[in-house]
Amino acid sequence: MEPAVRLADVHAAYEGERRGTLHGIDFAASRGELVAVVGPNGAGKTTLLEVINGLLPVNRGVVSVWGQSMSVAAHRLRRRIGYMPQDLFFPASTPFLVADVVLMAQFAERGVFRWPTRADRARAREAMLTMGISEFARRPIGRLSGGQQRKVLLARTVSQRAALLLLDEPTANLDPTSRKEISDSILEIRDSLGATTFVVSHDAGRLLDAADRTIVLVDGRIAPSNQDQASVAFSVSAGSIGDL
Amino acid sequence: MFGLPWTILLPTLLGSVLAAMNCSVIGVFIVRMNLSSLGFAMSHAAFAGAALGVAVAVLDPVWMALLFATLAAAFLGPLADASRLNTDSIIGAVFPLTMALGLVFLNKAPSAGIGSGALSLLWGSVLGITMQQVWTLASVTLGLLVLLAAFGKGFLALLLDRKLALATGIPARGHFYAVLFVSAIVVSISLRITGGLLIYALMVLPASTALQWVYDIKKAFLLAPALGMIGAVLGFVLSLVADLPIGSSIALAACILFLLSLAVSPKRRRRAFAKAAEE
Repeated sequence: MEPAVRLADVHAAYEGERRGTLHGIDFAASRGELVAVVGPNGAGKTTLLEVINGLLPVNRGVVSVWGQSMSVAAHRLRRRIGYMPQDLFFPASTPFLVADVVLMAQFAERGVFRWPTRADRARAREAMLTMGISEFARRPIGRLSGGQQRKVLLARTVSQRAALLLLDEPTANLDPTSRKEISDSILEIRDSLGATTFVVSHDAGRLLDAADRTIVLVDGRIAPSNQDQASVAFSVSAGSIGDL
Repeated sequence: MFGLPWTILLPTLLGSVLAAMNCSVIGVFIVRMNLSSLGFAMSHAAFAGAALGVAVAVLDPVWMALLFATLAAAFLGPLADASRLNTDSIIGAVFPLTMALGLVFLNKAPSAGIGSGALSLLWGSVLGITMQQVWTLASVTLGLLVLLAAFGKGFLALLLDRKLALATGIPARGHFYAVLFVSAIVVSISLRITGGLLIYALMVLPASTALQWVYDIKKAFLLAPALGMIGAVLGFVLSLVADLPIGSSIALAACILFLLSLAVSPKRRRRAFAKAAEE
């Protein structure tokens, strides 16, 4: 069976960067798999998610999602990729209502001159219900707390019926209660959508415990030895990956 | 100006209102996407182009304004796009260049001199506007409506967060450059109304005023042109009553609306209450 995500000898660098951020990444993830991506700061975890989503083009190698190359069909494939960027926070003045933010995740599915239908709006409402944020639907997104805003971003992935979730530090900078709520929501979404899920996380907890696999990135490479993985796993359980 | 016949005043009023509405719609993009410096640079590039058109008789000022504004967008857009140039640098580099070029071209214009037609490019002068030019402005308004109806979803996604838009399958770069190109068109066509020095105000002020009042971007797209229209009418009346240049009068009216909004908008009050509560 074709893997959901496949990276073959992927090298990537941000513009103006000599050394590169990812070096020869090779791996495949199957459909529905939950993959935790851990590693020290600057190891390339965020870059890995950006490369999978095609936000950062690769210098060498191939990234394919559901058997199709991201370099060829990125816009189309992204319609089924739910993405939560690191540290995205909408300030109080952001002029968007929560209901619209959730609905907008479906916009790419609609062609020119075609605006969302009643069915699309119903799907967005259902997504908000799933995430327990229906009461905020008519509120400006900038007036929600950090944890509530993360729930809105997760509701977008439900609204777009994502088959691949790329979640970059979804529980960072949240209080313990919000962290638990977000982790539980992610696992529920992953189960209900059957989505292949990549989670970059510094926080030891439910998400890393539930992962089918943990990829350890060190210096832009997947850690080769079991020893590295074991030491990182130890640090994760101690909640100190960021200090590695 | 009260003595002028309505055959002159009516096209002036219609032209002012249409230019203000068009600029205000573009202004929502410019303000929300933090492209104010780029809009500033483009409007002054359009002024320099129009001045060249005035100086060289065989060139059309509107087409030259469009060419210069588009070149500015094509040159500065990728720099702003990749965040390789901060906004102060854009203004610092382009403003002196375009203003100097514009003034040099105006100096070489056959009718150069204070009060000449050439200088109307600086201050704006809509009293010579024809109904044909009003129709051109109206067709730009119609074009904007069609563009928003066709690609509005992508633009809304872009205005929320560009990276998020791109990540969910919106061709964000194409939408970004469409905004720049359409801005260049609107600026060039509207330049004659307010002049090169003030058209920027017409883009930024109504949109900034609207965003003081609404939390829903769709409402901002309705309120900004409405405020632009109110500013244009108030400016038109002020210009008639006080015998002032119409471009300056419209910009003054837009400024007053903005300052009033700053003082009484619910968003500002909410921020003030929140700050007081914290203290």
